[in-house]
Amino acid sequence: MNLLIVDDEAPARDRLRRLLEEIGDCQTIAEAVNGEEALAYCSDQQPDVVLLDVRMPGLSGIEVARHIDTLPDPPAVIFTTAYDQYAVEAFETEAVGYLLKPVRKEKLAHALRHAARISPSRLVKVAQSARIEHRREQICARLGDQLRLIPLTDIFYFLADQKYVTVRHKGGESLIDESLKSLAEEFSGDFVRIHRNALVAEKQISAVERTDDGRYVVRVRECSDVLEVSRRHAAELLRRIRGEN
Amino acid sequence: MPANLGGNRSTGFFLPDFCSATVVFAVVLIAELVAIIFAVARASLHQNFWIDLAACSLLLLWMGLGCAAVLCRARPRLQHMPPQRAGLIALALLVATVGVISELVFQVGRVWSEGMTDLNTIFPVDHAGFLLRNLAVGFIVSALALRYFYVSAEWKRSIEMEALARIRALQARIRPHFLFNSMNTIAALTRSNPGRAEQAVEDLADLFRASLSEADSMISLRQELEIARTHQRIEQLRLGDRFHVDWDVDELPPRAAVPGLIVQPLLENAVYHGIEMLPAGGTVTIKGRVVDRLVEIEVRNPIPLQNGYSEREGNRMALENIRQRLELAWPGRARIETRQEAGEFSARLIFPYAEGNEATGE
Repeated sequence: MNLLIVDDEAPARDRLRRLLEEIGDCQTIAEAVNGEEALAYCSDQQPDVVLLDVRMPGLSGIEVARHIDTLPDPPAVIFTTAYDQYAVEAFETEAVGYLLKPVRKEKLAHALRHAARISPSRLVKVAQSARIEHRREQICARLGDQLRLIPLTDIFYFLADQKYVTVRHKGGESLIDESLKSLAEEFSGDFVRIHRNALVAEKQISAVERTDDGRYVVRVRECSDVLEVSRRHAAELLRRIRGEN
Repeated sequence: MPANLGGNRSTGFFLPDFCSATVVFAVVLIAELVAIIFAVARASLHQNFWIDLAACSLLLLWMGLGCAAVLCRARPRLQHMPPQRAGLIALALLVATVGVISELVFQVGRVWSEGMTDLNTIFPVDHAGFLLRNLAVGFIVSALALRYFYVSAEWKRSIEMEALARIRALQARIRPHFLFNSMNTIAALTRSNPGRAEQAVEDLADLFRASLSEADSMISLRQELEIARTHQRIEQLRLGDRFHVDWDVDELPPRAAVPGLIVQPLLENAVYHGIEMLPAGGTVTIKGRVVDRLVEIEVRNPIPLQNGYSEREGNRMALENIRQRLELAWPGRARIETRQEAGEFSARLIFPYAEGNEATGE
């Protein structure tokens, strides 16, 4: 079994490594000190199990898990936490594997035997009830085998076609494997739905114009794209940009 | 002066100490007031209001001071009885005192006015009536007074309890997050570096002793800063190079009295919301000085850019907690100021410089 330990604290990583070595049956044990490193490692090396600290600087453990989940063959994830009342409650209700630090060897062995991939929907629920980072600050897109993090502030809009969602951002366009509906819910504060297939960053709306045939379109500030506004979403959009809610 | 936030804690007994000057003075005052009430009420029956007032005052002062003396002597014994029995015995003692003094006054009056034909004397003439009236009034007034003492003592006690409970609730608690992370660090160090593990256990014990100590006790600033340094040592093991503290506290008076745990929680917050959330970590600056007999201690730390640091529940609660405890120690004379600029948070404690008697010099 190939393992990845993700924790920003050296003593915590040392201890997990030692326990894993005592348990045996691990071929490689790698370490990552933050979420970005963990994601880079996961897309390169495909570990079987990731031991993931919940509270880390930058990307939180739950964010990392959500990004990991978009990999073609995602590893199993076991969360580790010293104390995080809400997260632990969420892990319990969603039956997500977790370990409390200081970790006991028997519990670690047990968790490794039962480690399983966590479905995206359960992760969303965990993120919501854990009250930590309800919303991600980056979106994770795949470029071939590589994972790429796009800061939310760089994103102009999301556009859905039949199968994928396209992210239009400062660095160009990327495909992601998420539904527009869940994106709209997660980022409802900064993004506004203008069409069944389009979600636009409110700050990126430079103008809402009315065309000759009575429909509305949105001009995007930094890429000068023009997006169609559906009749159904027009009222909501106008209310939002007039600051009425 | 601020050595005890709880004020004079009552011994729990409802009768005040009748031997003390203030209570004796109160008794004199009350006796006079009652005398005035009597004199005013009887003004139409007597030719001379002032003579009636004087006579009444004389009698009531004797009774009041006599009762005070009796209660002064009886209090140590009553104190150990259940309040109801103590109340009944005190009532009996008071009525008896009133009776004895009335009898004495009557006898003195009889001897005094012997041979005098003037019936318009200030001394009573009707023996049985005088005694009975005084006993009845004495009984009623004593019962009312005892009841009043009881109720006000209960009221005072409940207020004290409430204040103490409030301070207890306010007392900064070590975050569970910190406790469990420290435990984890110690678990890791026990094998790799037993010496450090041992020191970490000692430091953790010191921190908990400080947080479990008397809720309203004041400690010296030196002790408080030592607690903060202990906290730093433990976090250092966990965070390593990511955590630095820049201590600039040489100007601070080590003997200044402070409520326990006012600086340490600021450092804990700086780590929990700041340093720990930054991938590269950072430096916490603790700077102290004295300006115009006011002690100023500032704790400054870097924070992640996109987060509502000061609005975070945990941080706000800790700051509010410190603010209230400063307020309890120095009402209206101490404050905590916070400031958040891009990527930096600072909290500044400002309180009067007062030296306390250092409780325990290590």
